[in-house]
Amino acid sequence: MQIQTDIAVENIIVAENLAKSVMTSEGLLPILLSIDLRIKAGESIAIVGESGSGKSTLISLLAGLDTPSTGMISLNGHKLTAMDEDGRAAIRNELIGFVFQSFQLLPGLTALENVMLPLELTGDKNAKTAATALLKRVGLSHRLSHTPRQLSGGEQQRVALARAFVTRPVILFADEPTGNLDSKTGATIIDLLFELNQENQTTLILVTHDQVLASRCQRTIKLDSGSMV
Amino acid sequence: MSRFNLAVKLLWRDSRSGELTILVLALIIAVTSSTAISLFADRLQRTMTEQTADFLAADLVITSPEIQPSSWSVKAHELKLDEAQTAEFSSVLIENDEMLLASIKAVSRGYPLRGYLKVTGSDYSQEQTMYQGPEPGNAWVEKRVLSALKLKLGDPLTVGEKKLLVSQILTYETDKQGDFYSFSPRVMMNDADLQSTGIIQPGSHVHYFFQYRGEAHALAEFNRWLKLRLNPSQRIMDIHEDRPELGSALSRAERYLGLSSIIVILISGVAIAMATRRYTERHFNATAILRCLGLKQRDILWLYGCQFIVLGVLASGLGCLLGWLVQQALFHLLRGLLPQHVANPGLLAVFFGFIIGMAVLVAFALPPLLRLKQVSPLRVLRRELEPLPTSAWLVYGLAFGIIAVLIERYTHDLNLTATLLGVGLLTLLLLGLLVYGLLRLAGKLLPYMGLTWRFGLQGLLRNTQASVSQILAFSITLVAMVLSFTVRTDLIDNWHKQLPENAPNHFALNIFPEQQVAFQQEMLQNGIRHSQFYPVVKGRLVEINNLPVQKIVSKDSQGERATHRELSLTWAEQLPDENKITAGQWWQDKPIQAGLVSVEQKLADNLKIKLHDQLTFTAGSQQIKATVASIRALDWDTMRPNFYMIFSPGTLDAYPSTYLTSFYLPEAQKNVLNTLVKKYPATTILEVDLILKQFKTILTQLTQAINYLLYFSLLAGFTVLFAAVYATLDYRIQEGAIIRTLGAKRSFLTKIHLIEFGLLGLIAGILTVVISEALIYSLYSKVMHIDYSPNVYLWLLTPVAGSLFVALAGYSGIRHVANKSPVAVLREL
Ligand SMILES: Nc1ncnc2c1ncn2[C@@H]1O[C@H](COP(=O)(O)OP(=O)(O)O)[C@@H](O)[C@H]1O
Ligand SMILES: [Mg+2]
Repeated sequence: MQIQTDIAVENIIVAENLAKSVMTSEGLLPILLSIDLRIKAGESIAIVGESGSGKSTLISLLAGLDTPSTGMISLNGHKLTAMDEDGRAAIRNELIGFVFQSFQLLPGLTALENVMLPLELTGDKNAKTAATALLKRVGLSHRLSHTPRQLSGGEQQRVALARAFVTRPVILFADEPTGNLDSKTGATIIDLLFELNQENQTTLILVTHDQVLASRCQRTIKLDSGSMV
Repeated sequence: MSRFNLAVKLLWRDSRSGELTILVLALIIAVTSSTAISLFADRLQRTMTEQTADFLAADLVITSPEIQPSSWSVKAHELKLDEAQTAEFSSVLIENDEMLLASIKAVSRGYPLRGYLKVTGSDYSQEQTMYQGPEPGNAWVEKRVLSALKLKLGDPLTVGEKKLLVSQILTYETDKQGDFYSFSPRVMMNDADLQSTGIIQPGSHVHYFFQYRGEAHALAEFNRWLKLRLNPSQRIMDIHEDRPELGSALSRAERYLGLSSIIVILISGVAIAMATRRYTERHFNATAILRCLGLKQRDILWLYGCQFIVLGVLASGLGCLLGWLVQQALFHLLRGLLPQHVANPGLLAVFFGFIIGMAVLVAFALPPLLRLKQVSPLRVLRRELEPLPTSAWLVYGLAFGIIAVLIERYTHDLNLTATLLGVGLLTLLLLGLLVYGLLRLAGKLLPYMGLTWRFGLQGLLRNTQASVSQILAFSITLVAMVLSFTVRTDLIDNWHKQLPENAPNHFALNIFPEQQVAFQQEMLQNGIRHSQFYPVVKGRLVEINNLPVQKIVSKDSQGERATHRELSLTWAEQLPDENKITAGQWWQDKPIQAGLVSVEQKLADNLKIKLHDQLTFTAGSQQIKATVASIRALDWDTMRPNFYMIFSPGTLDAYPSTYLTSFYLPEAQKNVLNTLVKKYPATTILEVDLILKQFKTILTQLTQAINYLLYFSLLAGFTVLFAAVYATLDYRIQEGAIIRTLGAKRSFLTKIHLIEFGLLGLIAGILTVVISEALIYSLYSKVMHIDYSPNVYLWLLTPVAGSLFVALAGYSGIRHVANKSPVAVLREL
């Protein structure tokens, strides 16, 4: 699999006529209706909207975690909608980082092992050095061998941030990253997120409820019942 | 009632989740195997008791080597008992140049007093039930006799010197005794013709059976009267002793089958406990909400209790049905060993399996289920509030209790039960610790492994307790299977190996003294190699140092068996080959002093006979006393004549004796038997090859039946595997989703799952090999005295097969995890 990392591709994310519906016991349920989206490299975007408006569904499509019912997505020049699952997995590993509301660390692994994992999946020999450096960057150099259970929510989310940035992704998706944290801890995590984003020149797609937080991004997309408004 | 409806409704909803399926499967397996065994045992028991009289052909039977004292007949007449008598002996029949060793039975008027005979005429379809034996001058024969001697109905058949007419084909004989040595086909005649056969002579080997029928109290009175008058060679028959092929082989089989069904129950129980635990944990939240809605602790227990009872009833019912089928198959497998007419099972036996099902459910599912009662309603607000775990005493106590009750039921022996439980528990504990230690050790290697292997191994280490249970479940099952298979094969191989080329394959018994020289001459002429000729006097050991031997022997021991029947007593000047003196001295005084005896070592140990002890024997109605001069060790597996008791020459001179020898006859020379038996009609020739073959069949059938049940424990092992897999399913789905979000391919997940389960199977396989080899080694060297050699195939095949099967089964249980869309990480789990 050859992956283009040409920054010259102006629109790093292109989505055309994107729609998603799911089959439920009551029939076909539309979740997203005809989304068109162009995001430039290095841009930061906030996606806002009420609970259930389809935000998570949208980023799951953009990140290649799920397939749309209709429409086209291209990431960095790769047509995601033309790929099979293993192809999309390779794209995720190379281009994308994730931060989730509920952290999603592997409970059986230590902080260091959690951060090393994405690098190890590509067979990177320097996984340990890189992971240690990033954990130090997020202020957890003294918690390397702790498992998620032994860490606070804020600390867990820092580990998740380190894991997201360790592969130097081109695009970072964050789905309500402060949703499970108190406001003070949340604020420090967001600061850290934006700092890391700056340092790495990453394109940021941030899902949030928080208007203040949204305003820190360059552009805001509002979703209502599956449509952009 | 509405609560019950609610319970059923909830159950129906829950039934779609996997853990209930596992629970039900495990329960069905446990009930099926215990029902099958209980039915099997029950029908056997009934067959034996219901048909006791039929088996004996009378209410009371005395067996004796001599004819009936006339006083018995007088007494029986006084008590208004009906009488009959049979005499059985072996004789060689020759017709149309064919020769056959037949078991002749001469029956009196009135036989059979109980039960019946069945015969067919030339038209084989017409089976007729008869309540009397053949008329004088007639013979009824088994079909085998006709084909072996090229006879047809209506032909004459000569028994000894008497010509009889073959008038019927005998198809069923109520009191047929079939042990390994009496499988020769039956010829039945009237005892009025017995004298004229000329076969019955002093010292010839005849069994008389005196049979009585009458009122219960009269029989009891007669029994008491007889007991005072029996000489040691006469014995009141007992169904358990006198049908050894039923009595010992089958009761042993019943015991082994029972114990293997306990393994099935234990392993299924583990699966049930695991499944219930997961079920319980998944219902904490729902229970908290129900509690918030106002249900009391008692209501919660009732609600879930109802669900489990419904489940238990359904699963146990199905298990009973399946158990019935399995039991039919068991009888089919063992049909060669069983009487033709097997009694119907009692209702209680079917019910037993059902009760076992419910008991297993209570013992293994109740303790984890009780936790639901403890769920606090506050949990709706604070998810982390976990109810206290159930007391370990309750968890293990119940399981231990039910296993103890079951073992007792199958062994009927409290001491043995305690020993089995103690040893079993200790072994389980030690093995558990061993596996646990091994897993922890493997954990230390984690940092040095590649990513795939690390994740695979981590899967095993995540819940060490569950992994240990699974490994033990598989190992125990596999060990049982390996043992029953290996021991059988080795036992049979070993017999073949031990018999050197040209080892004696025939025994000749009942050679009369006046014929001995001629017989030996005959063998020389035909170039047949034979062993020494030993004189034999039939006698029983009755006293040791003037103490009745029955008071000394322990039940079911070699000593008991040896004192229950007549021994072949012999005398010799020289110590026979392959005998070694282990204590005392072989007679050395010249001339040799009479009244000395040399005793075989194992029997001596068993009966606690020491040098210089005074032994008393009876031969017929006379007594022989002898002093123990030496103890001998010998190898019983050689096909030479071996003796428990060898007397010094002169001791037995006063008693009627016959001679015995063994010889080797190659297949091509079998026709020599023809001439031999024609010339010596009273001589019995045993074909050892045939006896071994028969024994091999029995052994194969028994082990087959046992293996059959072990398949159930293998199935139960897989339910433990699946229960464990389901217990970790949520975690696996989450882990899979996260790893795939980070860019891992599905094949990576597949690989780590295969490695995890492959390792599980591998460890179980290796453990199996080690345990089985250790057991086989000690069994062979300590009990069976067979040469032990490690089995290469076992070492290679068991771990490979173990890891292959477990990997495939485990993988198939969670293959959909790898296919779950990674989008799951975005939804709250
Ligand atoms: N697989 C699915 N099946 C049924 N409904 C779904 C599925 N995925 C999402 N939905 C529904 O689609 C809507 C949008 O979901 P989501 O994208 O998670 O919203 P948001 O993240 O904005 O809260 C919700 O109403 C959700 O219940
Ligand atoms: Mg969402």
